[in-house]
Amino acid sequence: MSYRIIVWVLALILLVPIAIFLVYAFAQGWFFPALWPERWDSALFLRQLADPQLRRAFGQSLIIATGVSMLALMFGYPAARVLELQTFRGRGLIYGLFFLPTVVPSVATGIGLNIVFLRLGLAGTLLGVMLVHLIPVLPYVVLTLGSSFARYDRNYEHQAAVLGASPWFVFWRVSVPMLLPSLVVAGVLAFLISWSQYVLSLLIGGGKIITLPMLLFSAASGGNQSLIASLSLIFITPLLLLLGLVARYLGSPATGATPRP
Amino acid sequence: MHTRKRIWNLAVMLGLLSLIIASCGSNAATPTSAPSSTSLDLNNWASIEQAANGQTVNWYIWGGSDSINRFVDEFYGKALKERYNITLNRVPMADTVDVVNQLLSEKEAGKTTGAVDLIWINGENFASLKQANLLRANWGQSLPNSNYVNWANPAVNLDFGEPVESLESPWSSAQFQFIYDSAKLQASELPRSYAALKDYACANPGKVSYIAPGPGAFQGTRFVKQALFEVSGGAEQWLGKFNQQLWDQWSPKLWDYFNQLEACLWREGSTYPKTENELHSLFANGEVDFSITQAIAGAGSLIKENLVPASARAFVFDDNMIGDFNYVAIPSTAPNPAAALVLANLILDPELQAAQILPENGFGLGYGIDPTKVSDPALAAKLTNAAQQLGDAATPASDLAKSLRSDIAAEYQSLIEQGWDANVLRK
Repeated sequence: MSYRIIVWVLALILLVPIAIFLVYAFAQGWFFPALWPERWDSALFLRQLADPQLRRAFGQSLIIATGVSMLALMFGYPAARVLELQTFRGRGLIYGLFFLPTVVPSVATGIGLNIVFLRLGLAGTLLGVMLVHLIPVLPYVVLTLGSSFARYDRNYEHQAAVLGASPWFVFWRVSVPMLLPSLVVAGVLAFLISWSQYVLSLLIGGGKIITLPMLLFSAASGGNQSLIASLSLIFITPLLLLLGLVARYLGSPATGATPRP
Repeated sequence: MHTRKRIWNLAVMLGLLSLIIASCGSNAATPTSAPSSTSLDLNNWASIEQAANGQTVNWYIWGGSDSINRFVDEFYGKALKERYNITLNRVPMADTVDVVNQLLSEKEAGKTTGAVDLIWINGENFASLKQANLLRANWGQSLPNSNYVNWANPAVNLDFGEPVESLESPWSSAQFQFIYDSAKLQASELPRSYAALKDYACANPGKVSYIAPGPGAFQGTRFVKQALFEVSGGAEQWLGKFNQQLWDQWSPKLWDYFNQLEACLWREGSTYPKTENELHSLFANGEVDFSITQAIAGAGSLIKENLVPASARAFVFDDNMIGDFNYVAIPSTAPNPAAALVLANLILDPELQAAQILPENGFGLGYGIDPTKVSDPALAAKLTNAAQQLGDAATPASDLAKSLRSDIAAEYQSLIEQGWDANVLRK
């Protein structure tokens, strides 16, 4: 019983900010002590939706976040696999190195990397921004995949190999299906983290790449609540859609230990 | 056996990865438009317009105001396209210091062609870029429309005390003003000096606040600086070069004033709003009686943005209200300097200057040019008319002129910010 109350309280805590965004995006001239806004007006919100700069930023954010989650899985899968399934000297150290970015502020890495990326010609490119997003993203991907590799039974792979499956076949038909829930969770996590990056995108993008958080932050610096709320709504909508799409994987234990029929 | 499988797996992954990176790289690294020759001839303006034809100008500009963003797109973006076939790429920044850092990084990386063509700038950011030698030189006073600029005015040729030296060109002017709600207060009840403001605050405890001085909150610093003018008996003595002795003499009196004021402030001065919009919000919700603006349209643009009630009006003290100019500058690494020059010149166009002060157009800052220098009678009439159409929400022009003071040497800026922090906030 009390468990259910906690769930409801948590749901409320998560939903209230979204409700506030909705109110602020459409309420105009709402000042204390008025109980109700002077008027409701969708003009500002619709203007943001139609704004070519916002549309471009939305598209670039989408490309970057999708690219980052794919790259993160490509790097994260082998890393997590080796770190969890093998024992070797310095394993703990390497694990630690993977988590270093979570404690080093991204401004510090960003400023240093910007100079390196400028020399390499990567600054101001989509690829450059994707690569730099991998820094905050990879620890979470490795952690998520690593925790399911820890409970991963490799005998299924051996079984398939014994029956004559090629390594590629084993990877696609045995490993991936068994790890699917945690691959999805890790990919979504990578998408979410990339989608909300500001400092690194600003530094490496150098204004050539404009992402949604950059528009959001510049609006926030002005403090116009209707504008901030409108942009926030546009910012969170794809995230809510994405979470809705993968919801069935989020609750399940991401082990893949029990193969489905 | 197993290791071989693993290696095979890894090799395939890495192979795929490098393919993707290679293909992305070739797509993303499309060469930026070659920098047009740095030897643009400002005496031959037609050649510059020709060089700018077809270019994209990357204007890095503070993006916190929806109405300013729209003004820029509507009035400059369209005119650039129609008149010069230039595309405006407005790059919104949360803080102009980010552009300064970007340019410093580009310099350190040895880039000769960067990403930034034009920056909206003044004060500390201008001083940093000037000092780092990162700005294009010798153009501000050579633009065709710079004839309309009163370069003899120290408020124009000094940017926070730093000589402009043709490194930037003005866009607009601003002057410190307060905002009150005419539905709650009569004009006769308004304080007209810092002394009167303290009396007002202590008669109405908690109804006054101001913006905390600090980097990025020049309005707060200016509020304190103006008080310094008043407690020291006048602004004139502060003009000219930085004077440590003068500062040492008067700063204790300044902190006395603010410490006496503090007890009567909103939340007894335990916390202060950090931005103009935080203060607008406190004012709009009736928590405090006054807000602060720099716009020549007074409360006009803010009313239009629904940030303050429609009954909001602007006013000034009788003296010591600091006014200044803000500018555009071109980095020496600008990829499209010709287009940047055309835009900087367009900004000074008298018709667009007349449009920028009107609150309904969303910008609302004052003239960058001197209207008396416009000889064409039709254009001059436009400028005069616009100035008369500012409406009730603006401070009367005569009040602004009477109280106008120019800003002082940049050294005082950080002394005030650090001093306020140590002597007022943390006391």
